[in-house]
Amino acid sequence: MIKLRYLVTLAAVLMATSCKSDFLTGGDLSTDPNRPSAATANQLFAGAEGAIWALLGSDPARVTGMWARQFAGGQNQYQSIYNYVYDEGIQSGFNAGLYAAGGLVDIVHAQQIAKGEENFALLGILQVQEAITMGTGADLFGNLVYSQALSGTPNPTLDDQLVVYDSVQKVLSAAVANMATTDATNSPPTAADLVYFGDTNLWTALAHTLKARFYMHTAEQRPGAYAQALAEAQLGIDSDGGNFVGAFTSNAAEQNFYFQFEVPAGRAGYLIADPQFVALLAGRNDPRRTEYFNAAGTRLSGARLAPDFQQPFVTYDENTLIWAEAAYRTGDQVTALAKLNEERANHGLAAEVVAGQALLNEILIEKYIANFQLGHEAWNDFKRVCTPNFAPTQAGQKMPARMYYDPNERLTNTNIPPAGQGFNGSRNPDDPPNIVSDGTGQPCQAG
Amino acid sequence: MRKLLLSAITASALTASAAFAQSGTTVTGRVTSDAGVPLGGATVFIAGTNIGAQTNDDGSYTFVVPAARATGGSSTITARVIGYTARSVSITLTPGATVNQSFSLPINPFRLGEVVVTGAGMSTTREKLGVTINSVDSALIRRAAEPQNLISALAGKAPNVVVRTQSGEPGAGASVLIRGAASLTGTNQPLFVVDGQPIDNQTVSTAFLAVNGGSLGDRQGGTATPNRAADINPSDIEAIEILKGSAASAIYGARAANGVVLITTKRGHVGPTRVSLSSTVNFDNARLVDFLQHDYAQGTVAGGVPDAVATCGDTPDCAPRGGRTSWGARLPAGTPTYDHMHELFRTGTTADNNLQVSGGNERTSFYSSVGLTNQIGVVEGPNNKYNRASFRLKGTQEVGSNITLSGNFNYVDARGNFVQHGNDVSGLLLGALRTPPAFNNLNFLTERGLQRPYRFPNPTSVEAFGCCAYYDNPFFVVNSPGNRSELGRTISNFNVDWRPLPWLTVKETLGGDYYSDSRLQALPLTSANDAAGSVIRAEQTNLVIDHNLIASATGSRGQNLNGTFTIGQNLNSRRYRSLSGQGEGLIAPVPLAIENTVSQTGLEFKSLRHIESYFGQGELNLYNQLYLSAGVRNDGFSTFGASQRRHNFYKASAAWTLSSLLHGGDQTGLLSFAKLRAAYGETGREPDVYAALNALSTIVQFGSGYGDALKSSVGGVPGITSSTRVGNPALRPELQREFEFGGDFGFLNQKIDLSIVGYNKRSNDVILPITVNAGSTGFLSAFRNTGALTNKGLEVALNARPFTSQNLAWEVGVQYGRNRGNVTDLGGAEIFDLQEGFGASSAEGADVLGYAPGVIIGTAFVHCGRAIQIPVPGIAGGLVAQDIDALCAATPGGFKNGALFLAPDGLPITDPQVRVLGDPHPRYTMSYTSSLKIMNRVTLSGLLDVRKGGDVYNGTRGALYVFGTHVDTDRRSTQGQYGVNYDTKKYPDVAGPGKGVVGLQTPEDWERWMSIVGTGGGFSGPSEQFMEDGGFVKLRELSLTLNLDQPVLKRLTGFSSLDLRLSGRNLKTWTNYRGVDPEVNNAGSEYLTQGLDWFANPQTRSFVISFSLNR
Repeated sequence: MIKLRYLVTLAAVLMATSCKSDFLTGGDLSTDPNRPSAATANQLFAGAEGAIWALLGSDPARVTGMWARQFAGGQNQYQSIYNYVYDEGIQSGFNAGLYAAGGLVDIVHAQQIAKGEENFALLGILQVQEAITMGTGADLFGNLVYSQALSGTPNPTLDDQLVVYDSVQKVLSAAVANMATTDATNSPPTAADLVYFGDTNLWTALAHTLKARFYMHTAEQRPGAYAQALAEAQLGIDSDGGNFVGAFTSNAAEQNFYFQFEVPAGRAGYLIADPQFVALLAGRNDPRRTEYFNAAGTRLSGARLAPDFQQPFVTYDENTLIWAEAAYRTGDQVTALAKLNEERANHGLAAEVVAGQALLNEILIEKYIANFQLGHEAWNDFKRVCTPNFAPTQAGQKMPARMYYDPNERLTNTNIPPAGQGFNGSRNPDDPPNIVSDGTGQPCQAG
Repeated sequence: MRKLLLSAITASALTASAAFAQSGTTVTGRVTSDAGVPLGGATVFIAGTNIGAQTNDDGSYTFVVPAARATGGSSTITARVIGYTARSVSITLTPGATVNQSFSLPINPFRLGEVVVTGAGMSTTREKLGVTINSVDSALIRRAAEPQNLISALAGKAPNVVVRTQSGEPGAGASVLIRGAASLTGTNQPLFVVDGQPIDNQTVSTAFLAVNGGSLGDRQGGTATPNRAADINPSDIEAIEILKGSAASAIYGARAANGVVLITTKRGHVGPTRVSLSSTVNFDNARLVDFLQHDYAQGTVAGGVPDAVATCGDTPDCAPRGGRTSWGARLPAGTPTYDHMHELFRTGTTADNNLQVSGGNERTSFYSSVGLTNQIGVVEGPNNKYNRASFRLKGTQEVGSNITLSGNFNYVDARGNFVQHGNDVSGLLLGALRTPPAFNNLNFLTERGLQRPYRFPNPTSVEAFGCCAYYDNPFFVVNSPGNRSELGRTISNFNVDWRPLPWLTVKETLGGDYYSDSRLQALPLTSANDAAGSVIRAEQTNLVIDHNLIASATGSRGQNLNGTFTIGQNLNSRRYRSLSGQGEGLIAPVPLAIENTVSQTGLEFKSLRHIESYFGQGELNLYNQLYLSAGVRNDGFSTFGASQRRHNFYKASAAWTLSSLLHGGDQTGLLSFAKLRAAYGETGREPDVYAALNALSTIVQFGSGYGDALKSSVGGVPGITSSTRVGNPALRPELQREFEFGGDFGFLNQKIDLSIVGYNKRSNDVILPITVNAGSTGFLSAFRNTGALTNKGLEVALNARPFTSQNLAWEVGVQYGRNRGNVTDLGGAEIFDLQEGFGASSAEGADVLGYAPGVIIGTAFVHCGRAIQIPVPGIAGGLVAQDIDALCAATPGGFKNGALFLAPDGLPITDPQVRVLGDPHPRYTMSYTSSLKIMNRVTLSGLLDVRKGGDVYNGTRGALYVFGTHVDTDRRSTQGQYGVNYDTKKYPDVAGPGKGVVGLQTPEDWERWMSIVGTGGGFSGPSEQFMEDGGFVKLRELSLTLNLDQPVLKRLTGFSSLDLRLSGRNLKTWTNYRGVDPEVNNAGSEYLTQGLDWFANPQTRSFVISFSLNR
């Protein structure tokens, strides 16, 4: 009988321990104590901002800077890339980065939060982030997964580059509209926004400049785009204070990418000044010769290599020159010249008096100079207008006009063609052969 | 109770037996084998009680039966010892009398009738086993002469148990692979269980814990790293059971994919208190191979390859400038040269002292021990040592008539000082072996007290080092005090063994394993790796709590049917934390501490894992010859995905003692024993902690592969992103299914025994990080249960006892194991790069379809018969691709498939495709053991360890070609021709237009070929050239034991016996491997891929003197 009692006790103990059903869940078992499980829209906004600065300031900017012949490749991989020897590994994941951490996945997540909080000002700002990310993606890679992005669909289809630009324009229009709302629930990021401190007017101006920029990228296909760009530029960034920059600091892993590349990453000598560009600046007695480069004209200037250099990515200068070119293209040479001289005055340069093709050339060369290190924008213009029509580094070859897709993206999506085939590795099939030149009489050697 | 405890203590007095003799019965006698060999350590006890004693080394025993039981009736007394069949006799216990009873036991090679621990608190007798469990007992561990690491002691002890020790450094980790790797990633180490309690056996290098050290590459540098099972004092171990296959280890479910090592520590035995004091001194020296040249000076051959980054410029710091290489002129006769290898090593010593006191009576037993191991390593200098102090107290008390309580407390303090090594410019051999022969590294400091490396011999200031020390002077390295570890650990458990009913047993084990491990890894000012100096401090704590409760019922129906049924519950909690801080830029030269640095960063990681499992197992014994067993474990792991929270693992086995039908099963005759067995089992491996969860990230950085990276939080603004790897809530455990078949046979009255086992293990659902489409998902990768592989193998053990007489007992044994791993699915890919090594363009660990896990891939030369079409220099057409096989076919005299292709200049060219270069897994392993006991006094035993095959990447040789310090570069004044007199062993057959052409004619040719940009050197040439056969034969152990148990000894010392042992470990190695040792591995037990040698440190051989006094 005593033994029976023992057995009952034992059974009770067993049941007591086994009924503790939460032994496998809860606390640090179901939540990773090393990683946050939730974020505010502002925190996701800040993360996405870092990703955008990288897209505009890290390898894509350096590589396209070489292809646009503003930089040269001094050694190792960069020497090869400068001479058009490169493979699908060169963009180091920036293609996949459009969507992953800090990319579309987080921007869309933040937009959902902002929408839920009826914070339309922040929603608009996040839409500008989406547009700059995907628009830049279209600039760099051409056709892109966008309409089916993040859908979970296996082998998502690629939207035509022009369709991506159209989508981006819509997102920017929505952004402008959202930022114009005056709901009491609006709360733009202030301290979290190191560029504009939540000033929706500045973000709205940026949105208009971006619209103008992306319209310009479609102008080869759509002559009407110049008029659209003109209209947007008139609402765009109107002073240097409105420039969209990378707010880098002197702290480790917060510094300007060009500094990081040279110093902590130890790649000094990889990215050097292209002598043709230095000569162009010197020949025009342009003060930016020494603003951009060191005295010897071999590498970036000390100011541009400062760890906390606030690297500009979208500027008043660019907006002014888009305005100038768009005015010219739409037949308004007076405004074109005025805007050219407005930009020159911003750099202490004397006003010019030119007209006709010479005026266009002057606008384009001025823009080529002003857009130095502006992400990849100098290369975008260079592909479109071929001005100045520098010779390719490899005689007989054309300057690369697209970056390859990430090999991991290609291997996991049958709609992405192998590197070097189809529409990747050169210009898109719908890009017309570009014969516009700077008047040197040579055919365009871009793309 | 109190009285009983007291009596246990007073029993230690020699007079104890006399005190009781008045009223009890004294039983005394001797236990020998049936051939007359005395059997020490045998227990003699009254059946059904705990009254008894253990025999001394001369086989004698004495115990007193208390008066209460000595009532004139008869009792059965039994003598039992491992390896012999127990015998029982009936004696009469007359009060006050002395009974003289000796035993003669027959040999029992299969240990039939002996209890074997099968895990999760269960045990059975060995004849019932249908699975393979290899036992290693304490005598074998002690003979291994390796007090430092119990894993190293397992080398050669069981077939298909392949042990590798990282190096001979004190505190170096060891890894063990049982029946190959069951998984495609991770280190595939078995689960370690001590006295029923799972313990932690992680190997975590300090670099891995550091902020910037998380990349796998760093684990090849840094310092030696202990594996935590090495904290167990081998002297405390009674026996180790190795559960090899899934059939044996299924009771441990999702933690047992790679087998289980069950360690049972010593316990107290009934009888007088035994005191054993043992002292062992090892004299260790490094096994050194001289592969350096001593004839040529620092410099570049005139007309050779320009040494562009050879010097630090024209500063006085660099004078005399000689460049980095030793491709200079022949040294004038009489120039003093230095032996850069030998000068770094000395004779190390290991002192291992153990005191063990144990004893017990019929209700109480205890075991206590204190162990102290002081190891001073073989590397010169003060920073090469490892000390371990441990104590243990284990006690058992019977409470009432059916409850036994026991407790086991173990505390370990381990601390070491290390020297940086391996793939590390501040590592020991990297700088040493690159040094030109005439440069004196011994003067490692300048007059100003600054480091003096050979490439920067006259530094003017600390700051000047920022430019170009390149490699540290090895004597600067050995004197750097900044690498330490300090560990405190306790492993304790509490057990209740309750027999509420005669047929029911309930056992509970509650155990805790806690350690705190503190690390320091620092680089002083002027270090080549970081001239400004840096400090890593890391702390890790680990807590394992395990509860295991079983209830076991036995029953029988008649004589020929009985069975056992067991159910159990296991709850386990593992909590791990690491915290590390890294300081950059030393302010003052010392202290090497974080607060003395300019900037600091920190990192923290923590995890918690729970297991809740239930298991049941039934055993059926039919006619005492057919044994059936089946079981299931239902595992719930917090690491399984939410939708896959529980998983079942099944097992079943059958064993049939065929010989029961022969001669009535009396184990005599030509075929004296035969048993056939078959088993099936399932085990698993759990996913990484938190791999099933989705979470955001604060540590994603944005930038390129060149090293520019931006945090997500810039300027103090908090930024959060999603993680790049998506959590997989459907993640389930990897699943191993294994069939094994075997037989155990005894011949010639059990003079010969033979065991054969074959197995086939299939691993499915193997977890791999798979690349996912970012455009579609927003993530870069995901863990998926997608891989598969198989391991098939054969194990044979054969032992013979040709002589078993009292004066001469000789045993010989041979063990053979082979395992073939084969990766069958990598989630659709052909190669999964483990990123263990030096990059796929050099030599890197990878899983490749059709090969064993963890092969070495890399670059190779072009060979005939591989359908390669590439341009060939020297053949008209410039960059036009040539059909290599056509060119091979055009060779006069034809070609052999696989022949090395030679271009017109007589030299091979590089294959652009990455190839599998070698498989580090051995083709088979064998060990030979022999033990000879003469006159019961002297035992001579040896272990020969054979590893056939197993490739090693000798990256050291490749690098030293470039530097011109390798002895192979000594032939630079002679001509070299592939296929004739250069590398002919590696490439016996050559073909192509260059066959017959002397490719290497002048020193310039040699230098161009072997240089930093040359195809024959280790930096840009194919790694295939440096793949070597890592097979070896090692005289692993040789020992001579002298046993003295003369009465005179007892009279003089009070001790009853003295063992004196002279032994050696790794005394001799026969190998074709040309590096320091074929067993080396840079990252030790942190990599799946073995066989990577990049300036790894040598192994040691030890000469051991030990004595133990027993009472």
